[in-house]
Amino acid sequence: MRMKYVMSEVLVGLWRNVTMTIAMIITMAVSLTMLGASGLIYTKVADMKQLYFENIEVSIFLDAEVTEEQRSAIATQLDSDPLISQVTYVNKDEAFQRFQEMFRDSPDLLSAVKADQLPESYRLKLVNPEEYKTISDQYTAVEGVDQVVDQSQVLDKIFNLFTAGQNIALVAAIAMAVAALLLVANTIQVAAYSKRREVAVMKLVGASNWFIQAPFVLEAVVAGLIGSVLGLGALIALKIFLFDGALSALQGLFAPVSWGEVFLTFPVMAGVGGLISAVTAWVTLRFYLRV
Amino acid sequence: MTKTYPKASRPSLDNVSVSIDKGEFVFFIGPSGSGKSTIVKMLLHEVVPNKGRVVVNGKDVTSMRSWKRPHFRRSIGCVFQDFRLLPNRTAYENVAFALEVIGKTKAVARRVVPEVLELVGLGGKEHRYPHELSGGEQQRVAVARAFVNRPLILLADEPTGNLDPDTSIEIMRLLDRINRTGTTVVMVTHDSNIVNQMRRRVIEIESGRIVRDQARGVYG
Repeated sequence: MRMKYVMSEVLVGLWRNVTMTIAMIITMAVSLTMLGASGLIYTKVADMKQLYFENIEVSIFLDAEVTEEQRSAIATQLDSDPLISQVTYVNKDEAFQRFQEMFRDSPDLLSAVKADQLPESYRLKLVNPEEYKTISDQYTAVEGVDQVVDQSQVLDKIFNLFTAGQNIALVAAIAMAVAALLLVANTIQVAAYSKRREVAVMKLVGASNWFIQAPFVLEAVVAGLIGSVLGLGALIALKIFLFDGALSALQGLFAPVSWGEVFLTFPVMAGVGGLISAVTAWVTLRFYLRV
Repeated sequence: MTKTYPKASRPSLDNVSVSIDKGEFVFFIGPSGSGKSTIVKMLLHEVVPNKGRVVVNGKDVTSMRSWKRPHFRRSIGCVFQDFRLLPNRTAYENVAFALEVIGKTKAVARRVVPEVLELVGLGGKEHRYPHELSGGEQQRVAVARAFVNRPLILLADEPTGNLDPDTSIEIMRLLDRINRTGTTVVMVTHDSNIVNQMRRRVIEIESGRIVRDQARGVYG
């Protein structure tokens, strides 16, 4: 009976102040969507880093008039370097083949470049791709080396972009969370005021504190949970229309977002939404109910 | 007991010592600001004395933790000048509410509430709303609500303050009947008529001190 009483009080409470309830749910939903999105971006960036870094190569291009001696000296040094896991030598012919393959759709470019114009190179795989800088410093100055080029520099720029996006989402999530928090506090104040007579009687006849507070706290928690369900809906829409829709052309560039990952954000959103609402409501009641 | 409120120049209660036996009927009288309300609030554990002890039902409640207060309150029934009924609930629902919020089932309420409404003389008016009842009838509902849980003490803070003399006497008869069931009744009042008619123990307070404590007393 007590559970039934508390639940009916919660529903009546949410309905009595329905405009505030809606405002509370919407801000909560937007905040949680942002939180979920930034979480997704975070895991995606981690996934993509792994994916890309596995295939990443550092190329050491050799001078056009490199001598046999210099070339073999570089080879020995590379072979014995503990930072490097794999070395592949690419001579001029192979470089030309790779070039032809890469630009097979651009015949103008192909005809402009002759086989002996492309430099020979060593393609390196690093034990830890992030140690590129050390490799670069070490080999740029070596006799016969023209330049050291690292693909991860380009990738870093892309990842920085993602991280920036993630940060923006997080800041928006926090800003909306603050707004949601204030709305919860206000809703609870209004609810406590409209039920002041009941609360006074309950205190007088000795109703327990949890029994007096539970309907208010649960009211906020229910709003928070509804907000998180809407947030999940927004993320599902985001996956369908953005990742699987507009951005599907970039499939090779992005690690795909799986349904599992989208649904995994729900417990986080629901937990954060519910907990923030509950704590805010409880703290507000400390001030306005003085039980 | 002594109680000084913050910012007050003199204590609201100054070294007051009162002992009320189980089953007694006691009037606290005195002018406004004399400290009567402070005594009521101490009994309810709403305020705590700076010095001295409050013992209710053999238990020292002076330093009781606030989370224990709700349970303690269940042994004290309260009636006020302004009735404090819930306007959107009927007489029955007002009394049943007091039972349900302390965890009694609806079945218990169905058995007990009509009984106590009958006792206070509201049989047949269970389903009226407060605005459909007279002042005296509303106060009866309040008394029923205070008594339904069979408290040890009934605390009445100027229960006749809003009622005409005839109705006041009816309410006093009701409180007297409740007192005869063994319930201690503590009543704060300004109503000299009633005090003089009842001829019960009178404790007069002035400026935070007891100036008179008289068995079978009058208003004076």
